[in-house]
Amino acid sequence: MRLITHNMLQCHVKGCNANNFPLELQEVVLEQEEAELNEDFLRNMLGKLEYEALVATCLKLDINDLPATLPADAAYNDEFLQILHRVILETHIKSGKMICPNCQHIYNVRDGIPNMLLAEHEV
Amino acid sequence: MTTTNSSAATASKNPLHIPSPFRADEPDMTPEQKEQQYVHDVYQVIAPHFSATRYKPWPVVEEFLKDMPAGFVGADIGCGNGKYIGVNPKLFVVGSDRSSNLIDICGERGHEAMVCDGLALPYRPEFFDFAISIAVIHHFISPERRVAAIEEMLRVVRVGGRILIFVWALEQTGKRDFDKNVQDVFVPWAMPKKAEPRRDRTRNTAQEGRRRDRVNATSRSGEASLSGSMDQLSIQDGQPSTLSTSNISAPVSMQPALSMSSSSPSSSASAAALAAAEPVSVSASSSLTNADALLTTQESRAENMGQTTAAPVFNRYYHLFHKGELEELVTRTKRAKIVQTGYDRDNWWCIVEKTSHK
Repeated sequence: MRLITHNMLQCHVKGCNANNFPLELQEVVLEQEEAELNEDFLRNMLGKLEYEALVATCLKLDINDLPATLPADAAYNDEFLQILHRVILETHIKSGKMICPNCQHIYNVRDGIPNMLLAEHEV
Repeated sequence: MTTTNSSAATASKNPLHIPSPFRADEPDMTPEQKEQQYVHDVYQVIAPHFSATRYKPWPVVEEFLKDMPAGFVGADIGCGNGKYIGVNPKLFVVGSDRSSNLIDICGERGHEAMVCDGLALPYRPEFFDFAISIAVIHHFISPERRVAAIEEMLRVVRVGGRILIFVWALEQTGKRDFDKNVQDVFVPWAMPKKAEPRRDRTRNTAQEGRRRDRVNATSRSGEASLSGSMDQLSIQDGQPSTLSTSNISAPVSMQPALSMSSSSPSSSASAAALAAAEPVSVSASSSLTNADALLTTQESRAENMGQTTAAPVFNRYYHLFHKGELEELVTRTKRAKIVQTGYDRDNWWCIVEKTSHK
């Protein structure tokens, strides 16, 4: 899974409605994989990203490239878009755990695939 | 309007391509248990063969995706093998499906995909610009759950975002011959005798040495047995399986593919035979749920085809939509309008637009 996907995920255990984002990453194995840069996509993402959560998550993964705050000219800042592209689209989580900061539910990532299924009583 | 009862005898006369009225073996099963047994477990098992038959995009879906502005972010809910995820490379599409075996195929293809339930999507609210649900919500067992599936998609799509929904039509006139009075049906999926799915061939080769449990299973009538094609199948599943089954209780402990060999006819019932035989080799936490329903050796094979062994047949639950029914479900959500509707390839479809946050 790409880091962008981590930024759209929240815990969805029944009743877990607050402080359920972002899922905390643990024991993560990362992999870089080149992808074609899509500026339209990146600009669209600027309005959707939880940027603060993205930066915090990256810092825990020792990815220090992103500025702490979203640049005012982000949409047309080529250098920034390039970094954002590399971070959210080319950085893959191959394996690891995603833990809900609220209810501590653990979601596993294996072979790059998150398993977000819940047990019946959690839905 | 809806008929859910039929005698086993009637159902058993159906040739392979004809659905039979849906009938749960255990009437007291919860909706979740029914969907687990008659939908999720089936797709998990047929995934490689199912995927091999799903490659051509339907034109309406393709057009919907290609008309989306570049850079839009979409969710493919119930994406199967991911055949729509890469249709428009200018988009970013995230796929999800209940079947981990189908999602594994998406992963191998480099698609962004995850295992999750359509009624409990793990996404932040209003994240997506659009969503698609292609041949998915006809697998939910009640109108309430179908509406809930639509509502959950509306939750994750932004206001103004569109959702394309396809469901199987009761009125279809293709190769399936549906009784127009029966909306809830079992639709058989027959595994080919020589299915050689790419990924499982590899897996099975690696596991060849460990595969030693052979399960002899026979049809309900005892007239024919499962063919060796089950060797190709693998139930490999990291997802929770909550259904405890009355018929199959064999502990699930081994990794190798579920393997059943051809055997001489025996008189025992299929599920009982499975349960009583050697340990059924199914991996990890997934239990093979009620093989009696999951796997029925279909009557058409031996007798109708003049063969001595038959392809195993799996019954999937479908709710067949009559004209206007899909729109009615959408209207119930009270926060979406219908933009366009149509009929294509045995399906009713509609494009829905989210109109309000709540």
